[in-house]
Amino acid sequence: MVPVIDGKLHHFSNAGLYDGLFTLYDAESQTLWNHVTGEAEYGPLVGRSLGPPGNELQTSVGQALEMDSTMEIAISDRVYFAGAKQFGTAGAVSAVGGRGQGAANQGPAGPNPNAVMSDRFVQTLGTEDVRRPRMELGLGVWTNTTHRYYPVVRIREHGGAFVDRMDGRQVLIFIDSESNTPAALFVNAKSARKQDKDVTLDDGSVVRAGVLLDRAGKRLPMEHPQQIFTRWYGFALTFPGGEVYGQ
Amino acid sequence: MLLNRYSLGTMLAATALAQTPVMPKLTKGPAKPGFDVSRFVLTPVGTFQTFYVKETFPLKKALEEGRVAPDTRLLVIDTASGKLALIRDQMTYHHIAQGRARNKDWMATF
Repeated sequence: MVPVIDGKLHHFSNAGLYDGLFTLYDAESQTLWNHVTGEAEYGPLVGRSLGPPGNELQTSVGQALEMDSTMEIAISDRVYFAGAKQFGTAGAVSAVGGRGQGAANQGPAGPNPNAVMSDRFVQTLGTEDVRRPRMELGLGVWTNTTHRYYPVVRIREHGGAFVDRMDGRQVLIFIDSESNTPAALFVNAKSARKQDKDVTLDDGSVVRAGVLLDRAGKRLPMEHPQQIFTRWYGFALTFPGGEVYGQ
Repeated sequence: MLLNRYSLGTMLAATALAQTPVMPKLTKGPAKPGFDVSRFVLTPVGTFQTFYVKETFPLKKALEEGRVAPDTRLLVIDTASGKLALIRDQMTYHHIAQGRARNKDWMATF
């Protein structure tokens, strides 16, 4: 997202919960913003957006360096663990974590498929969409015209990788072997299957260590649709009436 | 030190102030259609601190120096100067990171 409004930098913080998701707040205008879409929801800047949201890929250091060996990293003073060592000095890693309970990225242990929503979160929920279980894990993918949710269980039923169509384009939906998180990638192929840690596509290309390679092993440009690894309620309340893959 | 009524009162007031959470100030709308502010639950200011990124390092160097491990989980975003990695476990606390690259401000949320 772009934290600049009318040419002025705004400073954002986490101001609370709405629909079980954390809400952005900027000190300059005291506006509340949806942190997934970047749209202003309450306050003087309603009607404005911090878009485009931009994608965040979840990956490991090893995969990230495969993707781009010149990549930079920013490290805060917050405590974290790497290689069984503790780094940082400030506080402990949040036990709540993630984008509220809607994001599936909670805490060092990763998502808990059996998580139960706390009362503090429940009171912020709107009318829920009961097509899927509230706390189910899935991948939300969206464009300007399509909002679609892929339950992780459905992706696994397809062997962990398949090609779907979105707005006339083919999109690979797969479980990344390294991070064990679902991801989406625009491709030219019509089918895909997982082989060990690779995803092999029917046009000869392969996704290996997070990188798309052609049949000769040469890197191909990668284009990711907008996506978020989330719990069902987080997706459904952000994109009411969105599609659910397979139903 | 002797405590008189005034100093005791001051101490109690200071203690009460220290324990009173400060909430973000909200305006009285307007609201986006469908947004029900009565369902919004405030989090005290300072509960989570935004990560203001002032400096970055080559990821490769951070790995060589042992500041990250090959399996350390990252969030990777695109900035005007290229891809930037943030440590996922740190972002579960910060929730928000803001920075500037090549004169363009960016923000990531998690």
